[in-house]
Amino acid sequence: MKKIISTALMLTLTGSMLAACGDSSNETSSKESAGTSSDKQKVVAWAWDPSFNGAALKIAEELYQKENPNFELEIIDMAKIDMEQKLNTNLAAGVKDGLPDIILVNDVNIQKYITAFPNTFTDFTDKVDFTKFSPYKVDALTIDNKVYGVPFDIGVTGMFYRTDYLEQAGYKAADLENITWDEYIEIGKVVKEKTGKYMTTINPNEEAIHAIMLQSAGSWFITPDNKGNFVDNPVMTETMRVYKAISDSGIAKPVTGWSEFVGSFNAGDTASVISGVWQIASIMDAKDQSGKWAVAPIPRFNLEGAVNASNEGGSSWFVMEGSNNKDLAKDFLSKTIGGNSEFYERFLNENGGVGSFTPAFSSEVYKQKSEFFGGQAIYQDFTKWSTEVPGISFGMYTQEAKDALKNELPGLLNGTDITTVLKNVQKLFELQAQ
Amino acid sequence: MKSKWKNASLTGWLFVAVPAGLILLFSFYPMYQSLLLSFQSGKGSVYNYVGFNNYVRLFSDPIFKQATFNTLLYLAIQVPIMLILGLVIANLLNKPNLRFKGFYRTAIFLPCVTSLVSYSILFKSIFAVDGIVNQLLMKMNMIDVPIAWLLDPVWSRVVIIVAITWRWTGYNMIFYLSAMQNIDPSIYEAASIDGASKTRQLFTMTVPLLKPIILLTMITSTSSTLQLFDEVVNITAGGPGNATMTISQYIYNLSFMYTPNFGYAATVSYAIVFMVAVLAFIQMKVAGDKK
Repeated sequence: MKKIISTALMLTLTGSMLAACGDSSNETSSKESAGTSSDKQKVVAWAWDPSFNGAALKIAEELYQKENPNFELEIIDMAKIDMEQKLNTNLAAGVKDGLPDIILVNDVNIQKYITAFPNTFTDFTDKVDFTKFSPYKVDALTIDNKVYGVPFDIGVTGMFYRTDYLEQAGYKAADLENITWDEYIEIGKVVKEKTGKYMTTINPNEEAIHAIMLQSAGSWFITPDNKGNFVDNPVMTETMRVYKAISDSGIAKPVTGWSEFVGSFNAGDTASVISGVWQIASIMDAKDQSGKWAVAPIPRFNLEGAVNASNEGGSSWFVMEGSNNKDLAKDFLSKTIGGNSEFYERFLNENGGVGSFTPAFSSEVYKQKSEFFGGQAIYQDFTKWSTEVPGISFGMYTQEAKDALKNELPGLLNGTDITTVLKNVQKLFELQAQ
Repeated sequence: MKSKWKNASLTGWLFVAVPAGLILLFSFYPMYQSLLLSFQSGKGSVYNYVGFNNYVRLFSDPIFKQATFNTLLYLAIQVPIMLILGLVIANLLNKPNLRFKGFYRTAIFLPCVTSLVSYSILFKSIFAVDGIVNQLLMKMNMIDVPIAWLLDPVWSRVVIIVAITWRWTGYNMIFYLSAMQNIDPSIYEAASIDGASKTRQLFTMTVPLLKPIILLTMITSTSSTLQLFDEVVNITAGGPGNATMTISQYIYNLSFMYTPNFGYAATVSYAIVFMVAVLAFIQMKVAGDKK
């Protein structure tokens, strides 16, 4: 009797286990067949911010549905870091079932993904008219003359500043246009002296400002052929010199993380913020500071080829090569985000998002004046600067290079000379990127 | 008679077979696969066998060395502090005439039920440049300018150690407390009659009697410190520079932050496996019962 019971128990246990395994595979296959047999055409997309890029997809879906009423888009929101992990592990394991049709990719990761996972992402070269996009966005997407996605939002940078603080220190808007970094530091010193406020923030454990400086002079942490770009690079040396000068001058408030960084300007501790256009949302969170802000072009290096424009962040849409709905997904993206001014107007109006589709820049929406920024037509300014940003290749090893640099930043700030620091960074990077 | 024994044995084996099978499938098989992976290198989905190259790279990798140094530093400083603190607190809370015993026990164990990420974020804000610790120290006139705790290589390590100690002391304390309650109180009475002081009783009676539990907590704390990840990622993100980076965070960076090289990441994980095994072996030899 005992034996029968135990055997039965065993069988049910193993049975249920196997059934559990079997269930999941059944489920996916039935889903797939449902997708193809019914007339509803469904595409799945991954995005990381429901109020920004997720919302953009919603707008695109509505626009596309006008002509394709059967089209349906399922947007799956998850944290950016989770999404990157999921993509990495799925691709490395060669499992394609769990992946969506459309995926959002951070621009610095583009080359890394395309090289590390060949034949995974669809070629968009002939599907979209890339001359209508900001050239530097297209450069980031181009590998071996193929363009692997649809450019999306941009992070064109500006120097946001508090007009009241700068006025107190004796500066007018015109004094802040097209300045150099050394002039910026001098202004910062006066601001600190007259108002007691810091000019900016500094985080020795972050390399965001370095990235902005490098791109403004058409350089990057690594060369297009993925070698370290730290030694014998005048732009990098100048970046380090200015960074150290900002730190030494005492015009920068030390912060340890993102929330402290945002907190410092929301609390009115700093007179300027050098950041991407998407920072507008965080700046506008401080409702009491309305009318006290303005934005000017970022400072530039005193070097040949250096401009008063750069970029921080930004992302692009990719379609998976292995997706069952590849053609539909491509068509959807190219007819909306890849070439529809109405999409960009709505995206700016509803979510404050700035795209890189240049024909949209001449629309009325982009000319609107912002009350928060003292009546300045900020979007028009940003889009104008976006056409000046030098195009660069992010290469495969940006993250490795940034980390190698971060490792030596404390040393630089404590007085190690720039040549030694950069030599160390180069050595560390070469060991890392292999 | 004989067949009945055989039946019982068969049932037993069948019961053991299920978990054994599951462990084989979900634990040992991946371990074997990752061992194979540690001999490969490449990017993303393109891999080649490279023999011992990854292991050679490991020994010349300055970031791995730095991460190992940091991890061993946490281990050498934090684990003894935490275990001694846990033992002392357990001893205090074990006093039969202590009032509000339940309250103290709960209060000290409470950090263990907080999520790793949320407590890390709290510590990050407590030790921010204009955080509560700096404000307190400035109000008390102990410092003039705020200390950038998380931007200084030494202080940031101190913050990490304080954080882990806060989180895990209560956990170990519970082990000691429950083991202490299994010690017959009459032996303490006997010791008191013989004139042994309380301190003497703690070190010559309680500690030896708790030896198996101390060994257990030592091994679990060692292996969890070697795998330290959440706190460092959330409090300092490994910075400043790589001053607080742990081996686990390095593995994470290799797999998910950098151009993915799961082969080399697997090699680094095996370095942790090796260290845990060696340290556990040493602890068993030094503290374990001799047969």
